[in-house]
Amino acid sequence: MAIVEFRDYTWKYSRTKEPALKNINLKVEEGTFVGIIGPNGAGKTTLAYSINGLIPNQYYGVRQGAVYVLDKEVKQYRSDELTKLVGMVFSDPEAQFTAMTVEDELVFGMENLGMGVPEIRERLDWVVPLTKIGPLVEKPPYEVSGGQKARVALAAVLAMTPRIMVLDEPTSMLDPISRITLFEVLGELKHKQSNTIIVVEHSLEHLIPLADRMVLLYNGEIVLDDETEPFFEQMETILEHDAYPPEALRFFYEIGQKGYYQGPLPFTVEEAAQKLEALWQGGE
Amino acid sequence: MAERHPYIEVRDLVYRYPDGTLALRGISLDIYDGDFIALIGQNGSGKTTLAKCLNGLFKPTSGDVIVEGLNTKNTSITNIAKRAGYVFQNPDHQLFNNNVWDEIAYGPRNLQLPGGEVQARVEETAQVVGLDEKYFTEHPFFLPKGLRQRVAIASILALQPKAIIVDEPTTGQDIKQSLDIMDFLLDLHREQGHIIIIITHDMPIVAQYAKRVIALGLGEILVDGPTRDVFAQPDVLAKTFVAPPQITRLAQRTQHLGFDPHTLTVSEMMEQFQRLIPGQWLGQ
Repeated sequence: MAIVEFRDYTWKYSRTKEPALKNINLKVEEGTFVGIIGPNGAGKTTLAYSINGLIPNQYYGVRQGAVYVLDKEVKQYRSDELTKLVGMVFSDPEAQFTAMTVEDELVFGMENLGMGVPEIRERLDWVVPLTKIGPLVEKPPYEVSGGQKARVALAAVLAMTPRIMVLDEPTSMLDPISRITLFEVLGELKHKQSNTIIVVEHSLEHLIPLADRMVLLYNGEIVLDDETEPFFEQMETILEHDAYPPEALRFFYEIGQKGYYQGPLPFTVEEAAQKLEALWQGGE
Repeated sequence: MAERHPYIEVRDLVYRYPDGTLALRGISLDIYDGDFIALIGQNGSGKTTLAKCLNGLFKPTSGDVIVEGLNTKNTSITNIAKRAGYVFQNPDHQLFNNNVWDEIAYGPRNLQLPGGEVQARVEETAQVVGLDEKYFTEHPFFLPKGLRQRVAIASILALQPKAIIVDEPTTGQDIKQSLDIMDFLLDLHREQGHIIIIITHDMPIVAQYAKRVIALGLGEILVDGPTRDVFAQPDVLAKTFVAPPQITRLAQRTQHLGFDPHTLTVSEMMEQFQRLIPGQWLGQ
């Protein structure tokens, strides 16, 4: 069953002339990990906000078509119902902090969902080590470093364990190691839980090995929407629309173009290395 | 050729924040005319603190920073800033005027330049950064991020500093925008002779643009050298919590096939591939 569905959905902010999203049709099945890519201005954040209800509840604009979460239109939900279902991690995590300490920040969301103390404790014990924020729990969230803020923001959303998690450029403030940590956490979630995870991201190296499916947006429209492997077989379309696949993948695409390689494109350095070794040994 | 004098000299620089945090633990380095430097390292390694010491915003707790012969300890910020300009990571922390023209004119006015010269500098720098005159009357905050970044750079350039330090120029930009900004900095470097220092987590960008890499870790310099040499030492880099670009890692992982561990770009990898590919493929 589709847990999120866009049906002929168009959204135009009142302050702009052109719609930010045009006639979007997109179905996300429960439990899938979806990567949303595309250049700035393509409509990625608008798409994310349309799932968690920020659009149309907090923004002025004109809407056609509809977005459904489960079997109900987003705008039909009470905001607390929708918060339980859809958790959002923003690209600027400060935008989401409200509490005086990191721990209160995590507790706040759970209390709002009506959880009791034992359950809150149990979830803290799970989420704090998972996101490696143990040393930070007593600190004010706005005083920790950029990379730590992103992990706190993720932890706060994870603690509520929403069925759908939407992350809007979660790594844009992070150093490479914090990026890896964040995607490790997402990978663990993907494998151990059945959450639906939708990630808007520019940095594809860590996203691609986890994604079941990729969507390329450009100028408010869906240009490509496919399972990850066939998605990258349409490399020309991807490159034409200012999306840049990871270097190892691009390298294999190029040697494929020259006739040296046929087969699935590698998503990691290790996969790429093994494919090169196989080539050297005279083919697979 | 005469002996090379550094444009900026940093000697045993220690910086301690008022709250006691020791951010820089004895940094010494020379920055020369012709340098294009990437300052890399984990979040919290001291990169931004060092940058703010270079332009005199922060005065050393001990040690010295000497910019074109002037010690930042006893020189006004204005006097240092016209030699070493610092562009903030988040342009919104830097921009504060009500329109773009005033924003760019602020520095030159502060230098108490005559009105005609102020006007000339605003128009000239706007042109250099590719900012159309139609934006002069706009409020900086209502421009898209890419343009705000250009305004921030223009406002620093208007002071005509020899050295330009840009803190995370590509954060929040998509790849095409990142390349545009970096190409622009490269032009400033090549055509106008500016020393460029970027702070970044984006290793493909470092590989493509920087001639020299300085990696910081916990307030100390871990490695300082030509980009190609630094990326060829993954074990040293690991201490900085930074990984080389993906294509460099692939070349290092396949060194036994003949690939050069100093490889920096996909096209370099491609050249080697065509040279190295075993005989049975040559008929292709």
